[in-house]
Amino acid sequence: MDELELLKKDWKKATTEYKNYSDADIYPMLHKKSSSIVRTLYYISLAELGFWILISTLPYLFKSKFNEQMAESYKDPWFTTLSVLSFVIIFVFVYLLYASHKAISVTDNAKKLMEKILRTRKVIKYYVIYNLVMIFISIPFSLYLEYNQNMVFHDQIDAFNTKQMFVLYASVTLLTGVCLLLFWLFYKLLYGILLKRLNRNYNELKKLEV
Amino acid sequence: MNKELEHSFVEQLQKHQNIVHKVCRLYTNNADAHNDLFQEITIQLWRAYPKFRGDAKFSTWMYRVGLNTAITLYRKSKRRINTQAFDTVQFKIKAEDYDDTEEQQLKLLYQAVHQLNDIEKALVFLYLEDKDYREISATLGITEVNARVKMNRVKKKLKTILNP
Repeated sequence: MDELELLKKDWKKATTEYKNYSDADIYPMLHKKSSSIVRTLYYISLAELGFWILISTLPYLFKSKFNEQMAESYKDPWFTTLSVLSFVIIFVFVYLLYASHKAISVTDNAKKLMEKILRTRKVIKYYVIYNLVMIFISIPFSLYLEYNQNMVFHDQIDAFNTKQMFVLYASVTLLTGVCLLLFWLFYKLLYGILLKRLNRNYNELKKLEV
Repeated sequence: MNKELEHSFVEQLQKHQNIVHKVCRLYTNNADAHNDLFQEITIQLWRAYPKFRGDAKFSTWMYRVGLNTAITLYRKSKRRINTQAFDTVQFKIKAEDYDDTEEQQLKLLYQAVHQLNDIEKALVFLYLEDKDYREISATLGITEVNARVKMNRVKKKLKTILNP
């Protein structure tokens, strides 16, 4: 006999052998906390969003000197535009995250459900990438501004010989590289562990289509 | 939350709980993990319940939520170490229809099914529950043709596991 047929025969017979939960057993279950991957992902997303918003607003709160400089900078229309833009982008990401999280429905088919979960993960990934790019653009950009506006700094740089210039470039590049590597490792590890099973199952379904 | 809703949900779940138990049986290896998964599926069912419309059968709806939870949402807890094989504890064949060869065969079969991956288990589950390919394809989000192809591969894989 076909193996699965034999299994089916037993499968149907086995119905009475499971533990039978009573109503009183089930009620408390409804109010327990879910340990689902979506919930974990949601909290991680919120933490990441919070982290980056904090990183970008913290300097405003603490350094009065920084504030003065900022007040000066805001006179520059370019700077104001960029700041407004960056806040708009934050709100766009918050909205996207909210919308993609809302769209996750356990009653979708398995493939669609996995796609929606992975989309939520992507939104937060893009947000992190956006922040990293902004940081790495702003470092050389602010150095350049400083070079143009701060005469002392300007003279210092101009006095550098080739070797010193090389050291400056090398250290900036190295620092950037190390930071990127650390972030990359952190995310690989975090999402790699969290979504290992989901990715495997999603690929299994995807594989059928080719 | 609405008490009436809660009451009707618990009543229906209580009646159809075997479906959830069966999903747990395929996807877990021991009693602790079984209970964990049962708990998680119950939460997911309850959360989705307000949107459940009477036009689908409660049991059919449960298949989908149950499998989705097992395949995509459930995270196996690290605390759980396989302490004892669940099959040998809870599913002893009764003395009256004791048949050494068949019992042995079934034991091997269940072990083989446990070696399948999550998607393959889902196919086996729906097959064992007498679902047709239309429903299998709708539940997993693949085409009917692919569901058939996959099912044949699963059967072959089971054969290879059983007769290496």
